[in-house]
Amino acid sequence: MNRRQFLECAALLITGATAAQAGFSLTEEQRVYLATAPDYIDKKVDFLSAEQRSTLALLTETVIPRTETPGAIDAGVPRFVELMVFEWFTPDERAIFLNGLNALMSNTFASFGKPFEALGIEQRTKILEALEREASDSPWYEMGNAGMGEEVSDAPFICKLKELTIWGFFTSEVGSTQVLRYEAMPMTFDGNRPLDKDDSSWAGQLL
Amino acid sequence: MINQDFDAIVVGSGITGGWAAKELTEKGLKVLVLERGRDLRHSVDYLGEHAPDWKLPYQGKRPRELYREEYPIQSQSYAFSEATRHFFNNDKKNPYAYDEGKPFNWVRADVVGGRSLLWGRQTYRWSEKDFQANAEDGHGIPWPIGYKDLAPWYSYVEKFIGVSGEAMGLEELPDSEFLPPMGMHKIEETIRGRLKRKAPDVKMTMGRAAILTQDHKGRAACHYCGPCHRGCSTGSYFSSQSSTLPAARATGNLTLRPDSVVEKLVYDPDLKRISEVRVIDSRTGERMAYRAKLVFLCASTVASTQLLMNSASEYFPNGLGNRSGALGRYLMDHAHGVAGMGIFVDDMDTYWHGNRPNGTYIPRFRNLKAADESLGFVRGYGYQAHALRMNWQSSINKKGFGAELKDSLRKPGMWVWALAAFTECLPDKRNRMCLHPTKKDRFGIPQVAFDAVWRDNEHTLWSDAAEQADRILKAAGAVFSMKHEAIETPMGSGIHEMGTARMGHDPEQAVLNAHNQVHGIPNLFVTDGAAMTSSSCVNPSLTYMALTARACDFAVAQLKGGQI
Repeated sequence: MNRRQFLECAALLITGATAAQAGFSLTEEQRVYLATAPDYIDKKVDFLSAEQRSTLALLTETVIPRTETPGAIDAGVPRFVELMVFEWFTPDERAIFLNGLNALMSNTFASFGKPFEALGIEQRTKILEALEREASDSPWYEMGNAGMGEEVSDAPFICKLKELTIWGFFTSEVGSTQVLRYEAMPMTFDGNRPLDKDDSSWAGQLL
Repeated sequence: MINQDFDAIVVGSGITGGWAAKELTEKGLKVLVLERGRDLRHSVDYLGEHAPDWKLPYQGKRPRELYREEYPIQSQSYAFSEATRHFFNNDKKNPYAYDEGKPFNWVRADVVGGRSLLWGRQTYRWSEKDFQANAEDGHGIPWPIGYKDLAPWYSYVEKFIGVSGEAMGLEELPDSEFLPPMGMHKIEETIRGRLKRKAPDVKMTMGRAAILTQDHKGRAACHYCGPCHRGCSTGSYFSSQSSTLPAARATGNLTLRPDSVVEKLVYDPDLKRISEVRVIDSRTGERMAYRAKLVFLCASTVASTQLLMNSASEYFPNGLGNRSGALGRYLMDHAHGVAGMGIFVDDMDTYWHGNRPNGTYIPRFRNLKAADESLGFVRGYGYQAHALRMNWQSSINKKGFGAELKDSLRKPGMWVWALAAFTECLPDKRNRMCLHPTKKDRFGIPQVAFDAVWRDNEHTLWSDAAEQADRILKAAGAVFSMKHEAIETPMGSGIHEMGTARMGHDPEQAVLNAHNQVHGIPNLFVTDGAAMTSSSCVNPSLTYMALTARACDFAVAQLKGGQI
């Protein structure tokens, strides 16, 4: 039985007749079952130029690479970041991000004579490490600002890139189910489950 | 249009309104429940239930601008997210007032079922000590009832709603009628063992929660998906939607009218009764009136008192039932927040399976046997304690890149144990709500205005709760601990607002008598948090439910005996 069938059954058993009598005031448009909705990253996305997009993809992959498990590109993180930059960021945050991205692209070309995505993993990592060193005074790195991280609005490009990449990766279907562990209906609670050194966390936000 | 088809009218469909509906319909009365919020169907309309992160807007990142513009108060609740927003009040559409520098957070649901859908589900009986507190230390007025009056009603309610927990035999935290307790994390067992040896005055037990650990009265045991407040199709936690409203419907005596804003009650001076309940349909603006022999206000603390105030007339110029001057005053809430948290490196080879929607509980241990004057405060506090392992989310701002970063983020981190204090609040005459003299809401009803702040005893209690949290964390074996020494949130943030129409024997001092009946108006009852004469430090919903069931029993007996 899928969720919709289950709900229809439950409604019939528990509230069906009386709910129908009482009427129902949610419009069809408001009634979105999030569990059966399309993935967030399935939304149309077309904000960046082709060059920006391919650089961004390799940036996210440099933060979270494919190893024996999927990486940022496998998990659709580049789309997530692009959507968030244009849908969720404030104009000021967007400007920091886009200026940072453009600067990285032109600086890389000036130094290496080729685009970021044409560099090897070591070069790419070194570029990001240098950006992180420059940004290390940002309050974004303070312990209390972990978690949602939303309050450090003026954090530099590298912080915003990491925040969106990591968030997007570990809340994606691929990241949740293939890198972390995901179980929607555990049915029981066991507070003494052995954990091996190599086991992953459960997916899901802390609250 | 005046409709006279009902024996009783209940205002509100939340945790107490559901109980009034169930009790009154089961006793054979034709009941009309008026709910200000929109209709919502159990299970079918729990739109956020079981949605994984990747289906949520922005994969769970909060839409900041929308929340700031339209939900600045509601979005401060831990239960608020895109998976639950459709249950909550829109702050922009439903404004209220407070003075600059004296904010009050009024968290409200806006659907059938009210905050019973969103509550924390923690379920504790008050002790005799709680009921005696005002009489003993002279704050507020004495309660007109004691533990023995409410004990059978606690049992009655618990057997219906289902409360999981562990019997402890403690006088300060009387046991409920329990279903089996939820299990503890290994780290919690470790901590409990250490506290027994190193802090024997501190007891620790599994959280007592209105969440089923076995099938109960047609509702299924918890499936441990985690976020109860998104709604539960299997009815595994108690809400009026899952439990009391279906029971009331089953009698055939229930009519529930959503979108019904109750504007005022009309008092008939000849009959000395409420003769009419006036309603505005929130969708059409149409006005109507209903009559019934009994009226129960279960609209929530602030909303019920707002209604009494807005029902002032020449016979009750200061608000309905307000001969005492107590209406709107003695507003209370629990100061609530993390008082201390610690990091543990024990039991690193254990983890959990299943998202337990419950923590552990440390009952009050201050001023228990007798008042300890050296403490500098009266009353006490309890802690709800939460254990979890840090994860990618709490390490999102970690330095580094690549395979190493990915690997460290995917694995569970150290254990964190956080002690969330709930401190008792004194009934203080200065803490009050009233109707704003000029500001009105979209229905033309005067807005509520708050004038309430934490006072000396609450601040001193909190400092002690932070100090003691630190002692407990050290005794528990934390390798690192930190405390929050000041109350960080305004009144109302505990979402345990209480008082403003308190119970008491003396009509000169109290709005309600020992049966939640308004002094001088025999057919009017108030059984939500407004009735509270003091606040205890334990979560209040169970007590509201017991008071409601008890008041319904009394009211129907009076009705049948011809006294109403």
